Amino acid sequence: MLKYTFGRILSGLVTIWFIATATFLAMHAVPGDPLMNEKATTPEIRENLARKYGLDKPIAEQYVIYLGNMVQGDFGISFTQQNRKVNDIIQDHFPVSAALGILAITFAALGGILWGALTALYRNQLPDIIIMFLVILGISVPSFVFAALGQLLLVNINQWFNISFLPVAGWGTFAHMIVPSLVLGLGTMALLTRLMRSSMLEIVNEDFIRTARAKGLSPSRIFFQHQLRNAILPVVTVLGPQIAAITTGGFVVELVFAIPGLGRYFVQAVQQLDYTVIMGTTVFYGAFLVFMVILVDIIYGFIDPRVRLK
Amino acid sequence: MGTHKLLEVSNLSVEFETYGGVVKAVRGVDFSVDAGEVLAIVGESGCGKSVTVQSIMGIIPMPPGKITGGSAKLKGGEILGLQAQAANQFRGKEIGMIFQDPMTSLNPTMTIGAQIAETLKVHRGLSTQQANEIASELLIRTRIPEAQKRLNQYPFEFSGGMLQRAMIAQSLACSPSLLIADEPTTALDVTIQAQILDLLKELQSRDGMAIILITHDLAVVARTAQNVCVMYAGQIVEQGSVDDIFYKSAHPYTLGLKLAMPSNVSQQNKKLEPIPGSPPDLFSPPSGCGYAARCPHAMRICHKENPPLFSDARAPHHAARCWLQAPGAPKTQGLYQTNLIASHGA
Amino acid sequence: MNPHPALQADDFTPEPSTDSLEQLSRPSLSYWQDAWIRLKKNTRAIISLYLIIGLALFTILGPFLWTKDPSAQDLDQISQAPALPKTALLVSDYEPWTPPIVQGHPAEPAGYPDTLAAVTGFATAGTPNTQSIRFTWSPVQDAGGYSIYRSESEPSGLQGLGLPLETLEAGNVVGFEDRLNLKSQTYFYSIIPTDGLDEFDVVTTLKVTPVQSITMSQALERGLIDPSDAPGRSVLLGFHPFGTDYLGRDMLARLMQGARVSLFIGVVAPFIYVLFGVFYGGFAGYLGGKIDQFLMRFADFVVALPFLLFMILFKIGFGIGPGESGILPMLVALILLLWPSTARLVRGQVLKIREQGYIEAARLLGGKPSYLIARHIIPNTMGVILVTLTFAVPSAIFTEAFLSFIGMGVAPPTPSWGSMCNEGVKTMLSHPHELFFPALFISITVLAFNLLGDGLTEALDSKMRSRE
Repeated sequence: MLKYTFGRILSGLVTIWFIATATFLAMHAVPGDPLMNEKATTPEIRENLARKYGLDKPIAEQYVIYLGNMVQGDFGISFTQQNRKVNDIIQDHFPVSAALGILAITFAALGGILWGALTALYRNQLPDIIIMFLVILGISVPSFVFAALGQLLLVNINQWFNISFLPVAGWGTFAHMIVPSLVLGLGTMALLTRLMRSSMLEIVNEDFIRTARAKGLSPSRIFFQHQLRNAILPVVTVLGPQIAAITTGGFVVELVFAIPGLGRYFVQAVQQLDYTVIMGTTVFYGAFLVFMVILVDIIYGFIDPRVRLK
Repeated sequence: MGTHKLLEVSNLSVEFETYGGVVKAVRGVDFSVDAGEVLAIVGESGCGKSVTVQSIMGIIPMPPGKITGGSAKLKGGEILGLQAQAANQFRGKEIGMIFQDPMTSLNPTMTIGAQIAETLKVHRGLSTQQANEIASELLIRTRIPEAQKRLNQYPFEFSGGMLQRAMIAQSLACSPSLLIADEPTTALDVTIQAQILDLLKELQSRDGMAIILITHDLAVVARTAQNVCVMYAGQIVEQGSVDDIFYKSAHPYTLGLKLAMPSNVSQQNKKLEPIPGSPPDLFSPPSGCGYAARCPHAMRICHKENPPLFSDARAPHHAARCWLQAPGAPKTQGLYQTNLIASHGA
Repeated sequence: MNPHPALQADDFTPEPSTDSLEQLSRPSLSYWQDAWIRLKKNTRAIISLYLIIGLALFTILGPFLWTKDPSAQDLDQISQAPALPKTALLVSDYEPWTPPIVQGHPAEPAGYPDTLAAVTGFATAGTPNTQSIRFTWSPVQDAGGYSIYRSESEPSGLQGLGLPLETLEAGNVVGFEDRLNLKSQTYFYSIIPTDGLDEFDVVTTLKVTPVQSITMSQALERGLIDPSDAPGRSVLLGFHPFGTDYLGRDMLARLMQGARVSLFIGVVAPFIYVLFGVFYGGFAGYLGGKIDQFLMRFADFVVALPFLLFMILFKIGFGIGPGESGILPMLVALILLLWPSTARLVRGQVLKIREQGYIEAARLLGGKPSYLIARHIIPNTMGVILVTLTFAVPSAIFTEAFLSFIGMGVAPPTPSWGSMCNEGVKTMLSHPHELFFPALFISITVLAFNLLGDGLTEALDSKMRSRE
């Protein structure tokens, strides 16, 4: 088990290094230099800035500086907001996005497993039909529509029931997190439900379920001990990549619900071509993703003995 | 004559609804098993032997499957078509079952010990500790080395032969009076095959357990069985003791099977004689004898009407479903003919 | 007792079967025929297939049948909800109107009156239309002026009179013209007499619904009339079955044009990257060993690349500035970054097939690698490829919609369903149809492909697992 974990962490570090390098190369492959968008700059100021960011040195040297800085956790200073370090931006806003994302994926995972198991239990009966209909909607409607609708619904509910404990936008309390993370997790929940359902139905045809019946086990025991336990495996496998999807989707939810998360800043940086922020955030996000995937893999190792012992 | 047979199956019929139509997989099967008896059910793929025993155990998914008739009595009590709760009274307890591929027939995420103990906990209400002790004994009984260590291992850590022993151990947990073995050796190599069969025989003679052994291999039948049912196209075409079947074959299909068997008598350069053709389409079974299309001795009546079972007056348990057994039928080379009155319905 | 009908002698005449013994009892179906039959039984998949064909026709043939220009702005019908064609009254170009003045009525009252009577005879002059609504009324004794209000909902008493339009300061001016932002809806006009300074507590309300009008010059400009036409007749305005957006552009035409963009990216990109993935994965799977390891490592690395970043870079690399449409960079980014999952799937399938007995058998019979690949491996991977392709399309459409939504994809004025959603979200509460239709189209397309993919998986996969 230890060897498995160690191996995954090592490969994860290699991946992060690769992302950082690719980002670096990509940014420097772009024609023109990062300062070309700076408006009122005299040649002297540009020279100073270039020296400050080390842009006048050869690429190889820049790369080493870049890596060195990154290992120490320094991503530089934002181009467009000269008084803010990228680190600070990340530090201030990432916890928000992370909280949102983690809550969203928790909803999605728990919901997905629950609904998926229900549909398999009541196969082709009313609960199955209803849930699958909602699932199809969930995977077909784009996330930003859900975000917009979610907000609309909130506004209306607050009006009709004359309550205001579920805020329509903003951030700060747990109440602020509920609806946005629900909306964010919807698409993934739909996907996981479908996966869980097909996994359960596939398992039902497996030989060992037949053996379990021949052993005279009760239907509930077969359902929980044999079906569910094995059906969860593919769902957990998929969780890792889904976290990436939720992170991306987070941008939209943060925009619509006015949540001060990193996603919103990232999109802004993208639109304003703020290079240091783009680079820093990309590498950071990449590292976070790799970390989450490794975590999920480790959890999977606990659930599936074949992975851990072979 | 008050004692019930251990298992008595009469006129069992099972159908399947598929997207291509209705398949009549089992068409009126009768047989019985005494306590301590070893019955082999032989037939080629698709003849209905697995469906028969699985229907009795109630593990055929009921849509698309459907039991369209018949009964199965265990010690006098009806067990066919019971709801899950009632069926679980005998499944795993009175009747144990093992399957063809042990690797896929066991839960990959549970230890072997846990799976064996499960049966004991559910049927006998034992604690985990007690169940584990008995599980360990069972593993020893089925000749699995290092039983203690093996208890905590997962199926993928076992070899094929050892896994089949583990499955046998699991099925014996509650000391069933009948063990159904559905092609237990088909997936194993010949040497392991022999070991498993010997193990089964040993368990049977020691504990007086009856065995229904399903196979398509006549050699396995010869080695292990006392009585045999030969199935073809969803029906039993011949039944009797193992000697009857081998030395007094009364059905052309049985003859054909014997001729197709490779012989391990050395220096015999005999050619293998396959049976030409293929089994009939069970979507619309023929109204006549199912074997008529391939039978070299087919007669006019064979294509028109399905023959009833004719039994041998001198040995009533030996019967064959063939018009050549009817009084007045022509003498046929190689076939044991009884020429007596039919005693079973068609 | 013989329970059977007596058997006659001739029943026993030998009659070995004369039919060919190898005759198959059922017509044999090829893998694809069988899969097609299964697919046809799946109603949802068939409906989806029809939907997709319909969408294709919509995209390709649509603009030929519905020839409205997607960028033409119909300023009379901005943010119009879907409706049947509207008519407009043809009116002459605007000329100023002098409100009538009653002769002999004082402009100012002699003294300050205590009470004033309510205005009577408050009526419209001429046909009220969206160009102007003219009112006249009877002068009120001792009035020094009138105040006129307009509201969109009926006022109750003196409450909710609405927008104060005009305060006339002469008692003998008995006419008023409203030209403020008139739309073809119901308005409630209220008039209150004043003494020149204060309003009195009497109000007269009139309900007016102006008809949509269009001036001669506007109509001529838009080619709706001939120069010979005269005002007074009704002119058919542009028909917008799905309504118009916030700039007055026809939604249906925009949806069609947007379809071309969204579906182009949504279908072309997956086709290309799946094709590439098939070759890459097939190659890796077939060759195996070190080459396979190396190729898969590379694929893993591509997966780790940050998608959004590369989108930006391609956009810059193609020289597209902010606010411009980046269809080509989006296409390139999708293709270059999304192929690894297909490659992995195909490679897995090829590895599985390679182990099968029939490959070995074919090889032993003398089959060369190219034959094995073409005749055995590719047909057996087609199932996986087809399903992957079907699910890749909605994924690409979503990605395009998302990118356009955040401004990294298609930019206005070029429509794509994603950018139309972006615009629609802004007016979601007041004009929901602007968000509803593009979102609906995206959803239907994605739904159709997903259901079709499901159906294909069921039809093909059960064979792949040979369960039946």
